[in-house]
Amino acid sequence: MSSAESATTLDRRSLLQAAILLVGGSVAGLPASALAQAAAPAERFFSPGQFAILGEFADTMIPRTDTPGAKDAGVPEALDALMTNWASGERQEQFRALVDQIGATGLLAARGDARLALVKKFDAERLGAHDPVYGRFKDLLLTVYYLSEAGATKELRYELIPGKWEPAVTVGTDTRAWAV
Amino acid sequence: MFDAIVVGSGMSGGWAAKELTEKGLKVLVIERGRHVEHGADYTDSLSPWELQNFGMVPEEEAAEHYGIQSQCYAFSTATKHFWVKDSEHPYTQAEGKPFMWIRGYHLGGRSIMWARQSYRMSEIDFESNAKDGHGSDWPIRYADMAPWYDHVEKFAGISGSKENLPQLPDGQFLPPMAMTDAELDFKAKLEAKYPGRKLIIGRCAHLTEAQPQHEELGRISCQYRSLCERGCSYGSYFSSLSATLPAARNTGNLTIVTDSIVHSVVYDPKTGKATGVRVIDANTKQGRTYEAKVVFLCASAIPTAQILLNSTSEAFPNGLANRSDAVGRYLMDHLSGMGAGGIYRGFEARYHHGRRPNGFYIPRYRNVTEPAEGFTRGYGFQGGVLRDNWRRGVSRPSVGAELKNELRRPGPWRIGLSGFGEMLPRPENRVTLHRTRKDKWGVPIVHIDCGLGDNEKKMIEQVAKDQREMLEMAGCTDIYVNKHYGGVGLGIHEMGTAHMGKDPAKSVLNKYNQAHDVPNLFVTDGACMASGGCQNPSLTYMAMSARGAHYAASFLKEGKI
Repeated sequence: MSSAESATTLDRRSLLQAAILLVGGSVAGLPASALAQAAAPAERFFSPGQFAILGEFADTMIPRTDTPGAKDAGVPEALDALMTNWASGERQEQFRALVDQIGATGLLAARGDARLALVKKFDAERLGAHDPVYGRFKDLLLTVYYLSEAGATKELRYELIPGKWEPAVTVGTDTRAWAV
Repeated sequence: MFDAIVVGSGMSGGWAAKELTEKGLKVLVIERGRHVEHGADYTDSLSPWELQNFGMVPEEEAAEHYGIQSQCYAFSTATKHFWVKDSEHPYTQAEGKPFMWIRGYHLGGRSIMWARQSYRMSEIDFESNAKDGHGSDWPIRYADMAPWYDHVEKFAGISGSKENLPQLPDGQFLPPMAMTDAELDFKAKLEAKYPGRKLIIGRCAHLTEAQPQHEELGRISCQYRSLCERGCSYGSYFSSLSATLPAARNTGNLTIVTDSIVHSVVYDPKTGKATGVRVIDANTKQGRTYEAKVVFLCASAIPTAQILLNSTSEAFPNGLANRSDAVGRYLMDHLSGMGAGGIYRGFEARYHHGRRPNGFYIPRYRNVTEPAEGFTRGYGFQGGVLRDNWRRGVSRPSVGAELKNELRRPGPWRIGLSGFGEMLPRPENRVTLHRTRKDKWGVPIVHIDCGLGDNEKKMIEQVAKDQREMLEMAGCTDIYVNKHYGGVGLGIHEMGTAHMGKDPAKSVLNKYNQAHDVPNLFVTDGACMASGGCQNPSLTYMAMSARGAHYAASFLKEGKI
């Protein structure tokens, strides 16, 4: 890592910490993946407007409940990074257009239950029409959430080293599914 | 000058090296790919969120460089370094006959990424060619192989249950892995409805209880992570890097060279023997020659044929040990990718803990305990019944807290079945050298012309019918039967290109895996197979390599070669 890069990383990390302090949070309470994503390379794929739409859509799809939501888990940042590091040119175009279409529903202006209803309608319509672009988008959104550290360990359960195979454990009232 | 050269360091080469060095021979193993350090070069310590792109290889990179390799289920950012770049290792395919050649060029070969299912072939398999007339009669029978299966199983560590089935002989097993309640239920229903069918736990090369011979090499019992294809730092499954090569190294008789591509075998017409191999350095492209008293080709079926075909001389204008014209012919794979599944009802109060790197197995019943309409040979099924995870939410309309609450619970039990069928040995399915194209090391690339015959097509139809019937019988819902067959090669069980036979005019190897035409040349990889059965073949390659090494060492000692 060059010194210029490390300076940028440091700046981003301290900016993030400042932002957390501003809203009364703590770095300790934040999933490591969110920090990692925030400290990762700078340029966003989506425009600030598109990123805001993506963030609100993701957080409505997977809200904070008694466990972290999509934003807490760094889902918008991780999806944005996938656009740069994984998606083909064709998929990038498709996803930009999709986020614009989500924005055109008035998502950002809607609040609370109205926003939830809007996301629910969009989700049902696109899946009902077998829209492959939205299908892959929702797939990625869920993947990035449930395989994030927060999604896999706070919402669901994950063990890197189970140590044994138990084929028939008893399900309790709060048994969570394995993320993998 | 070495006593023996072993070309290739994968499943077969590792075993040949171990056995030959343990008999006191000075052995050189030649690997075309790079060195891989057991443990240090694995990615098995990474959690899902630590994987680059959550495991997804960039789409454009996958399309440009890994068009074929990316079709393998085990291809991800965590394993990408274990697959060849198709763009660097081209081959051509016959028009309209795709052949998906999945491979990795590195120390340990595909023994690192293999699926670890380990089954013996049976007397039924060794008799099959003689009985129905396809291919060449095997020059050996099950009794010739049984002690060698015993030998390799004890060392490799194979987990399984004794079942006393004629089509799938029992072995020297470590304790079996347990089935889920839903699997036990399916087993009971299946065996009640079809007296000729059995459902057993998969037999796999995992240490369910490490023995002293495993612990000596630093291997420990399986920790049920199921991250196997990334390489296992615990050595809990068998690979060349966890087991055979370390054992060979411990003898003090082993030399390994990596990044060395075997161009051809050198033949001396005066003695009628091979004297060594010509090698091209993968990095500098410089040529050099290694000499030995015995040469073992364990490069895997297609490259072994390629090397033989490229080893031309006045005595062998069509390739070394190829007076029969059988080298490159009789290419087989297993029919694969024939998936089916559905929801398995009930058992909501039970869940599983840990990730079992194994499933169940339904051994072949067609043409064993039940007849088959219009085809010979048969197929088996691998499968499992486990509970769904969050993935079930991907295509279902649901959002918000409702979505989260639904997906945090274990999903319904889901059964999956996957058929593996035997392909007949047919001379027209073959590998040849391309007439004009060479790779960047100047070696002629291979041309693969391999397709399905009527027998295979009928078998695929019957597999689908049987799957649907068994799933319906068990009361499954949401049944799907995927008749899609992706293409030959995706079974990743290439075999048959230098097959064993009794007749030197029709086959390449004799009953000792020794070339009919060149007494100090042995082939013990998948190329040697006269037929393929429908079982995963790696255990047979292991046993064949140990057996071939035994005879080669004996013949050498007796001055016969």
